[in-house]
Amino acid sequence: MSRPLEDILFGAPSPRARVVARVASVAAAAVLLLLAGGIVFQFHSAGQLDARFWAFFAWPTTWAFLGKGLLGTLASSAMAAVIALTLGLVLLVGRLARTRLVRWPSIAAIEFLRGTPTLLLIYVCFLVLPSAGVKLSTYWMLTLPIGLSTAAVVAEVYRAGVLAVPRGQADAARSLGLTEAQVFFHVVFPQALRYIVPALVAQLVIVVKDTTFGYVVTYGELMQNAKVLIANYHALVPVYLVVAALYCLVNYAISRASRRLGEPMH
Amino acid sequence: MGEVSRLLSGYGPAFGQALLLTWKLTAVSFVPGFLLGVAVTVLRLLPLPPLRFVLTGYVEIFRNIPSVALLIFIVFALPDLNVVIDYEPSVILTLALVCSAFTADYLRTGINTIPGGQIEAALSLGMRPMRIVTVVVLPQALRVVVQPMTSLLIALMLSTSLASQVPYPGRELTSLVSKVANDSAAGMAAFAVAAAMYVATGLLIAWAGAALEKKLRILR
Repeated sequence: MSRPLEDILFGAPSPRARVVARVASVAAAAVLLLLAGGIVFQFHSAGQLDARFWAFFAWPTTWAFLGKGLLGTLASSAMAAVIALTLGLVLLVGRLARTRLVRWPSIAAIEFLRGTPTLLLIYVCFLVLPSAGVKLSTYWMLTLPIGLSTAAVVAEVYRAGVLAVPRGQADAARSLGLTEAQVFFHVVFPQALRYIVPALVAQLVIVVKDTTFGYVVTYGELMQNAKVLIANYHALVPVYLVVAALYCLVNYAISRASRRLGEPMH
Repeated sequence: MGEVSRLLSGYGPAFGQALLLTWKLTAVSFVPGFLLGVAVTVLRLLPLPPLRFVLTGYVEIFRNIPSVALLIFIVFALPDLNVVIDYEPSVILTLALVCSAFTADYLRTGINTIPGGQIEAALSLGMRPMRIVTVVVLPQALRVVVQPMTSLLIALMLSTSLASQVPYPGRELTSLVSKVANDSAAGMAAFAVAAAMYVATGLLIAWAGAALEKKLRILR
């Protein structure tokens, strides 16, 4: 890849264009600063900059509580990811099976779990299953639906990776006398994984976002703990802003890490 | 099966309305979200560092924030800042903002597939940069992103279930299921019907997207 496209587009500006760009930059900066000033003023005139709304962020207990919420988020995300990666593999093997009796139910399961909102699955675990006599803890009411719906997406991601592995690899492995299972698990799948690391990590970001629904089932993750803080201090705006920033940071870190992971593989 | 037909005789019209509302929310948040995403993409190309910096921040924030957190902020926290938005516009605004950030991200990836030689050729023909963007860059980038945009539209359709999180007078599919599950013992049947509607809508969008993709694909 050569230069980014915008560098070519605006790469050789005439002296006049350079002046125009500079003036426009300053104007844009002024407008954006004015906008930011307007937002700060709105905060001020609504009284949201009062010390009582922010003072409790100076207490370590507040951060310990938010940290506990973040740990809850990560615990649920990690388990959901494990479920998704393993069940996704099972669904993939079923999806690729030669027998229709295995393949069609797998396709149905994938389409069903992929095509239903995670929130709806959470409601089923929360509202419907208890009346059917199945009682889950709040952790599993949140983690299981997320894991299931992510598993279906991961199965499709796996499949894209498997299809991207050159056919010759499988043919060569078979001609060496490997069994079908050996061909898949020792030759095709490990190579497929390399193609799809970025897509899998993108899925992990979605898992972290989905755990936000923890407050629906009152599982103690970041959002739920934020609601508790708000109930205590009546500081809606500051707490939600801090929590949103925390989510953005976690997800941004995951995305950045994936870019790192993705590079040397290709 | 008997349970489903009993449910539909009581709640049939409600499910029809809920499905329509889900479709409506999807459409009215996708269109402005998509247009906003295109605008952000074009503005990010301009050689104005402050604008680029802020728009990159915009895309990263709305790509990484959980939609529920954004919706709850808009509905429950903004009134504390003397900004009151009604429930339905709040849901649409949330979905449109998130949609615009992903659109901008996908379009950027689409733009990266365009060979630089095309831009140089257009420049040497004497075309102005903004004309190159609208005539050469955007049409090709839009054709490349049909498939990711289809996935985004399906994800957006599923995200309309967020509307169940605010005291919204209309009932889309997910809030209808939670109401049925609360009022009666037919929760499982209601879930099955709603899931079938979601899956069918998703497959419909996927099919339309695949047809469009086949028509517009650029072979390189």
